[in-house]
Amino acid sequence: MGLLLPLWASASASEPAPAASSAPALIAALGQPAPAHTAFAEARFLQVLDRPLVVSGELSWLGGDRLQRRVDHPQQETSIIADGEVTQQRAGRSPRHFSLKRAPQLQVLLDSFVALLSGDAARLQQAFEIRQGGDAGGAWTLTLVPRDARVAKTVASIRIDGYAKASRCMHMQEADGDLAVDLLGPLAAQMPAEPTREALQALCQSAP
Amino acid sequence: MRRGARAALLIGWLLALAGLGWMVSQRLHVSTDLRSFMPAPTTPDQRLLMEQVGEGPGSRLLLLSIGRSCASCARGTGPSMAGAGLSDEQLAALSQGLAAALKNDRRYSQVLNGSFDLGALDANLLPYRYLLSPTLDTQPLDEAYLADQLQQRLDDLSSPAASLLKGLLPRDPTLEVLKLAERWAPAKSPELREGVWFSSQGEALLLVQTVAAGFDPGAQQQAIDGIRQAFHALPGSSGATLQLSGPGYFSVVVGAQTRHQADWIGRISTVGFIALLLLAYRSFSSLLLSALPIASAALAGIAALTLAFPEVHGITLAFGFTLLGVAQEYPIRVLSHRRAGEDAVHSVRTLWPLLLTAIASACIAYLAFYASGVNGLKQLAVFTIVGLLVAGFSTRYLLPYLLPRRVRDVADMRWLARARTFVDRLPRPRWIPVAVAVAIVLMLALAPAPFWQNNLAALTPLPQDLLQHDARLREALGAPDVRYLLVLQAPTEQGVLALSDQLQSHVDALLAQHAADALELPSRYLPTTALQRERQAKLPDRATLQRALDEALQGLPFRADLFQPFVDDVEAARQLPPLTPQRYAQTPLGQRLAAMLVERDGHWLGLGTVSGVHDAAALQALGENTNGAVRLLDLKAASESLVADYRTRILQALLVAAILLVLTITFALRSLRRAWHVLAPMTLATFLVLAVERVAGIEISLFHLVALILAGGLGLHYALFFERDTGDPAEQRRTLHATLVCVLSALLVFGMLAWATIPVLRAIGLTVSLGVAFHFCLSILMAPHARQD
Repeated sequence: MGLLLPLWASASASEPAPAASSAPALIAALGQPAPAHTAFAEARFLQVLDRPLVVSGELSWLGGDRLQRRVDHPQQETSIIADGEVTQQRAGRSPRHFSLKRAPQLQVLLDSFVALLSGDAARLQQAFEIRQGGDAGGAWTLTLVPRDARVAKTVASIRIDGYAKASRCMHMQEADGDLAVDLLGPLAAQMPAEPTREALQALCQSAP
Repeated sequence: MRRGARAALLIGWLLALAGLGWMVSQRLHVSTDLRSFMPAPTTPDQRLLMEQVGEGPGSRLLLLSIGRSCASCARGTGPSMAGAGLSDEQLAALSQGLAAALKNDRRYSQVLNGSFDLGALDANLLPYRYLLSPTLDTQPLDEAYLADQLQQRLDDLSSPAASLLKGLLPRDPTLEVLKLAERWAPAKSPELREGVWFSSQGEALLLVQTVAAGFDPGAQQQAIDGIRQAFHALPGSSGATLQLSGPGYFSVVVGAQTRHQADWIGRISTVGFIALLLLAYRSFSSLLLSALPIASAALAGIAALTLAFPEVHGITLAFGFTLLGVAQEYPIRVLSHRRAGEDAVHSVRTLWPLLLTAIASACIAYLAFYASGVNGLKQLAVFTIVGLLVAGFSTRYLLPYLLPRRVRDVADMRWLARARTFVDRLPRPRWIPVAVAVAIVLMLALAPAPFWQNNLAALTPLPQDLLQHDARLREALGAPDVRYLLVLQAPTEQGVLALSDQLQSHVDALLAQHAADALELPSRYLPTTALQRERQAKLPDRATLQRALDEALQGLPFRADLFQPFVDDVEAARQLPPLTPQRYAQTPLGQRLAAMLVERDGHWLGLGTVSGVHDAAALQALGENTNGAVRLLDLKAASESLVADYRTRILQALLVAAILLVLTITFALRSLRRAWHVLAPMTLATFLVLAVERVAGIEISLFHLVALILAGGLGLHYALFFERDTGDPAEQRRTLHATLVCVLSALLVFGMLAWATIPVLRAIGLTVSLGVAFHFCLSILMAPHARQD
């Protein structure tokens, strides 16, 4: 849900998992320089819809608190978060602006992604309670639960699945039951035409 | 009088004063609304100014900015400098907190801070969105339109805006609420940061409309105090500063500044005044006792006002206390004219005929003000007449019984004898009045134009930095101009809305030509009931809408029954009675509309607010060929014409007062020649002050006129006492002593005011000081020669 910024890996995806298994060490290892780009495919399971919405395109971290989300399918659309404002541009329509304040979920995401992308474990820990899981094969899972009760009313949790120094999936569970799952990097190409929660779960936890 | 009786009298007097004071404190309602001091308006524009402008939308607007306080700006203001001062986020939180605190306060009718407010349209008015939004004028709610809208909503759901719209979707798939919010947003909005308005200098901005009228400094003070309290109660407000601007704030600042300077000068001159009287009479008890008549005068004057009028105007009191300065002469005369060993009662008795003449003539002259018919002047007359009578009669019948028995005869002072000799030897050529008159005429003729100062605001100018701050905020917020209003007139409220609707296209054209930055008409907030019915008729019935919706939903993933609330709302909208301003008025937006619609004398007026006027003539042209139904009101011009009318009334009252004065003095002295000796120096001195001020480039205002009247009253005393021929050189010396004490004390008090930086205080101070000096000199020079013994 929202502007799902990835914790993608660059060329280092095949390196072994970091030796230290603590969350701060993992987060620090995930950090990378801006700007960075990755493909994404997102499925949204919304209560107002009978079937999930699927979009795909490219996500970019432009440095600082500036993020860009470009959707290529099924409709061209570009959203930019910069200076606390979201600008949304759609082919054939005038751009729409709104403030991050009007969408607290976005603010949470922006904060967490920038912290993750810059490897800033301290900033991340300020906003979230972090749980880490994983196996000896190099797969890991980070679960982020917002500390702010107001935020928790809309965003229940964020879960990131990864392997080695690359994030592969991001799940955002909203408090009202809606769920967004983003497949990141090479995995984005494997988004099924008609995804289900279970199929995506399996995809995220499969070995690369 | 025995010691016991004296004590009883003193205690009785003090008790009476305390009683009066208690009564005044119970009954006195001071009105600070400038309009209640003004005369009854005569032209339609003046009436509008008086009745509505103080309450007009523009004048009730306060502009607020929340900035980093200077402790933190020293450490850097950039939003990127984390930890240095408050972040944008913290300022935005303060803005939101303040807006939330003020929203439920009855003192404010509207609070805007830029944050998106779905509550702008009250929840139980939500179905009205289809009657208020212009969508249906061009677009039926048919299958094609719904299909296009639903596809767009689907796109929205996959975008970052999803979380924003998700809740709105089932009830309002065409987003009419957002269209209305956009329509009602200020024409020119400041930059949005963290969801609220920010200026280019990084302050959070808010607009607050007060319920209180803009020209009512008392009520504005309360509104401003409420804002400050709410702000300081917010967590984290200590690192930020709240700055205000706007007409209401200015009236408060000006009032406070004027009071502060007047108080400060008043304290210094009071000390000087007391020192002067101690020096002159060397008696502390005399000094204290002589304050009693003045105190009685002031209290009795206010008490009379509270009995005669429901509300007393603050300006009446300020002017009244100024004019009451004359009464200070009565006890001084009594103190100076006592002979050694003479009973005070006896010396008052010999003085009384002259004092009574002075009191009676002043009172009769002030009657002219009562007859002027202007409420403020009537109050002034009641206050001063009652005050002067009480001061005079208590000086005659109470004060002498209390004064200490042993006093020094001032006539024995050596310097006084020398001064009197000097004064007596002054040449008194007969041509002096002629020369002074010619000089006056020449000076008045040569003085630079204009003669009158009609802009009362010029007398209480605002500091330049406040004006610059106001201009900057006004520019950033696109807040309406306080000077211009577009007035629409029609027999009914609906007529005004219809007229406003017709006018909209012309206004849009003018705005496109940059005649003004923005012009907000009442129909922006509420269409006519006719237009609402038209839109209502275009709403499909439940079955038709359901069919169109079902077809539009073909192939889209929305849940089948998702849009039931939408269908229900449209059905509800079909049954609604059209929204009227009365029903609307229960909501904040309706309050805003109510401020723009006013009933007067059986017809209705719409007040369109204008911001950033570049071409007033083009706006004026909107009113052409409308027979006055549409006109641009220039509030500055209207208020200036009102002041000019007011002055005319004062001048007429003065003319009548002058005639009454001539008759009273002639009757009292029973001699035209003697009356001439009293009235000629007084008249010449008054015009001499006027001429000197005009030559110095001073434009004459109402305050100058009131000061001239006070100086005239003092001058009358000087002339009356100098004219008196007692044939006793010692008495002549006492007269000179009394007059010198009076002149010096007046010069001390008003001379200090003349140094004030605030023009209104300077106007009063300079005029009275000059007046006292001229009256004194001319009274001496034109008095008949003292008989040489």
